[in-house]
Formats: sequence, structure tokens, C-alpha cells
Amino acid sequence: MKNRILTVTLGLAFLLTGVVSTFGQARKKAMRDMEDYRYELECVGVGAQGTYLIKVWTYSKKPKVAIAQAKKNAIHGVIFKGFPGGGQGCTSQQPFATPADEDKNIDFFEKFFADGGDYMRYVAESSDGSIGAEDRLKVGKEYKIGIVVSVQKDLLRKDLEKAGIIRALDSGF
Amino acid sequence: MMKKIIISLAAIMMCVASFGQAKKPTLMVVPSDNWCKQNGFTMKFDNQGTIEELPDYKKALQGSSDLMLVTAKISELMANRGFPCKLLEQEMKKLASESAEDAMLTSKQGGGVSESPIDKLAKTAKADIIIQVTWAVNTQGPKKSVTFILQGIDAYTGKQVASASGTGAPSFSAELPKLLEEAVLNYIDNYNVQLQNHFDDMFKNGREIIIRIKKFDTWADDFETEVDGKEISAHIEEWMQKNTVSGRFNTSDATANMMLFEQVRIPMYDANGKALDARSFCKGLQTFFKNPPFNVTSKLMTKGLGQATIVVGDK
Repeated sequence: MKNRILTVTLGLAFLLTGVVSTFGQARKKAMRDMEDYRYELECVGVGAQGTYLIKVWTYSKKPKVAIAQAKKNAIHGVIFKGFPGGGQGCTSQQPFATPADEDKNIDFFEKFFADGGDYMRYVAESSDGSIGAEDRLKVGKEYKIGIVVSVQKDLLRKDLEKAGIIRALDSGF
Repeated sequence: MMKKIIISLAAIMMCVASFGQAKKPTLMVVPSDNWCKQNGFTMKFDNQGTIEELPDYKKALQGSSDLMLVTAKISELMANRGFPCKLLEQEMKKLASESAEDAMLTSKQGGGVSESPIDKLAKTAKADIIIQVTWAVNTQGPKKSVTFILQGIDAYTGKQVASASGTGAPSFSAELPKLLEEAVLNYIDNYNVQLQNHFDDMFKNGREIIIRIKKFDTWADDFETEVDGKEISAHIEEWMQKNTVSGRFNTSDATANMMLFEQVRIPMYDANGKALDARSFCKGLQTFFKNPPFNVTSKLMTKGLGQATIVVGDK
């Protein structure tokens, strides 16, 4: 009897470790994707003053990971990638910083984009968390998940200026 | 004693701080001539037989709430980026009250304020960078959209230093003020990216100014007169070569009586770290004329940070 309990407990522990490890690997992969700019931003409308309203398309084998990663990707995209214009009266927006700025301030951004890092202060999901069927696409072996978020771009820019990552418009004057 | 030391230190700190910063350009939002004409905010006047139509800013500001909204919104967003704008309406009011005050001002001996025709001409609402706005409302059946143009123009060189334009999404229900507000929010960031590029270029290659050199007819010499084996114009060009950033300037016109230098790139700071503008830069040229071998006085007039005229031969 004792042996059976031990076997079941060990089996469950191995199973749990496997699940956690796969999930952790998927999250690491999502971070690598962000660093490689493997996500897409799409403007979905002119946001309220001081904000961008964008849809972030994130790739992952696990939809949960994609959802969790979307906010990071949105902030990363606004800072380093910009996004194209298109429908809804959107104009294309240029990034705040260059990839060279990212390399120069690698320590800052590692901390900034860590789980629960400062990036969370500038982004909010604009929906109730549910994802429509048209925003959950299966591409090959992975999912492409689209989530609409609102980015506090004025606040983000100001804080990056204060941190000395980007130059303010009036710097030098 | 201690108090004196603290005051002296504070004064030194303030000097150092002011020396470390370049002169900040002023910005002002102005409706374009095109918008004024399309909306009937113009005035006609007879210019020696030719009827000319000019924008009437006072009429536009008093008659269009949309213009007020656009001006206020742009000014608010620019102030957030560290560039509070001059307001056209306030500038015009300031000029009117200043003129009234000058007209009434008399000294105890009964003397009035002296004002030359040049002073009168200089009394216009001005800024270093004009943010020119134009918009048109497009209607297609019940749908409305706004085409919006935002242009940043360097008041002295006349060059467009930043711009953003486009047409917003058509809407069935949104009112015009809402569409205009959206347009400003939509285009201001791209406009500011270009403005930032312009400032970056300015810090790297110097501030671009225009210098005109003229002569009073009372001066016996002209710019073709030879001094030390060279024409005075050649001496001036040599001075420009030495004092501009990487010797960058264009001699656009040169005659015996005048010279026009365009795309003159002056350093943002002098050798002592003090901020330079067209006036302080041309003070150096004035000294150049005053010293041997020329020994001639000159009059310096400036327009804002970026345009200067030196008239040689008198004050």
C-alpha cells in the first residue's frame, strides 16, 4: 500500500515538474521571440489622449503564454518597433528608441521586461480578457493570438526620458 | 560673510546653468493662408494698384471655435513635451496694447517713445518655428472625415522642418471638433519625431541662420574695395569660413553693395560655452569690421534667433 502511494506521488511530482518545465520553456521562448521582434502590432484606433490603442499578435504553442506575453510585446513594440497605420484613421507611429539604445541599456531593459517588471505600469488590456475566434489563429504548430491593449505612451516616453534611455524633445535647450 | 559666499556660489551656479543650455526656439500655432482663404478669414488691401488678399488672423480667431480648439490642443501637447507655444491671440493682444502704451507714453519733458519705420515693421507676432495648420472636412453622403496638415516652418530660413498629414477615418456620427481632436492626437507624435530630428541636426551641425550684409551710402568704400590685396567681400567670406561649423555657408548673392549668406551653420555655443544665436554670432562680425584694417562701424539688426542684417558704414 505504502509503495503504491509513493509511486503515485512520485508519478504526480514528475508530471507536475514536466508541465511546469514545458510552460517555463514556452515562456522563455516567448521572451526570445520578443527579443527577436517576433510579434506584430496593429493599430486599432486613435486612442484617448496620451495612449495608443493597438492589437498585439503574439506567437506561442500555448495560448496562455501568448496572452501573458502580449503586454510585454506591446511595450517592446512601442519602444523599439513602431507600428503601421491603416484603417480606423490610424497613422503609422515611429518607435521611441533604436535597437542600439536597447543594446546600450541592456541591464535596464532586462529589469524592465522581467515578469512583473515596470512595463506593467504602461499597459492595460482593453477587452475583458476573452479572445474572439478571429483573434485566435492556428499557424502551423503554434497559435497566433491577437489582444487589444492600451499603452500609456506619454507616460512611458516621459519615464524613458527621465531614465536617460531616450532624449527629450527639449533636451539641450 | 557666509551669506556673501552662498550668494556668490548661487550666482556662479546660475551662470553655469544658463551657459550650458542652447537658446530655445519659440513655437506658435498659426492657421495657414489656405485655410484662412477657404473659410473667408481674409482681408483685402490695395498694394499700389494690386489688390492683395491676406489672412486676417484676428477675424479667424474670433470667428472659428474649431481653430481655437486645434490651437489649444496642439499647444497643450507641445507643452507636455517641454515646448510651451506662444498663442497667436495673446501675441496680437500684446502687440495692440504695447502700441497703445507707446502712443500714450511721454517723458516728464514731453518726449515720446522713439520708433523707427524698421521698429514698426518688426512689430509683428513672431516665433522661431511656426506650426502651420490646415484642415478640410470631406463629406461623402452621411460620412464625414477630416484631412489634416501640420507643418513646422523655420521662420527665418523658410524651410519646412517637420510635417505630418493625412485623412482620418470617415465617421457617421462624430462631430467635427471630435474629428479635429483625433487628428491632432494622431499626427502630433510623428510631427515631433521630425522636430526632434531637426533639433538633433541643429546640435550636430549648428543652427541654420541667414545673414545679410549691406552698406550705408555714406560709406565711401564698398564690398569690392581692395584691402590688403583682397576685396572686402573675400575677407568677409574668410571670416565666415573660420567661424561657421565646418565652414558651412552659401554666398547666395554678392555685389558691390550687398552680400547674402544663406544656410549659415553657426555653433550652438561660443568658445566660453555661452549660447549663440544670430545676434551674438554677428556681434563677432561687427567686431571684425571695427578692427583694423577696416576700422568701420556697423549697425546690427536681428529677427528672432535666426536672421541678422549688418549695415556697414554707420550706426
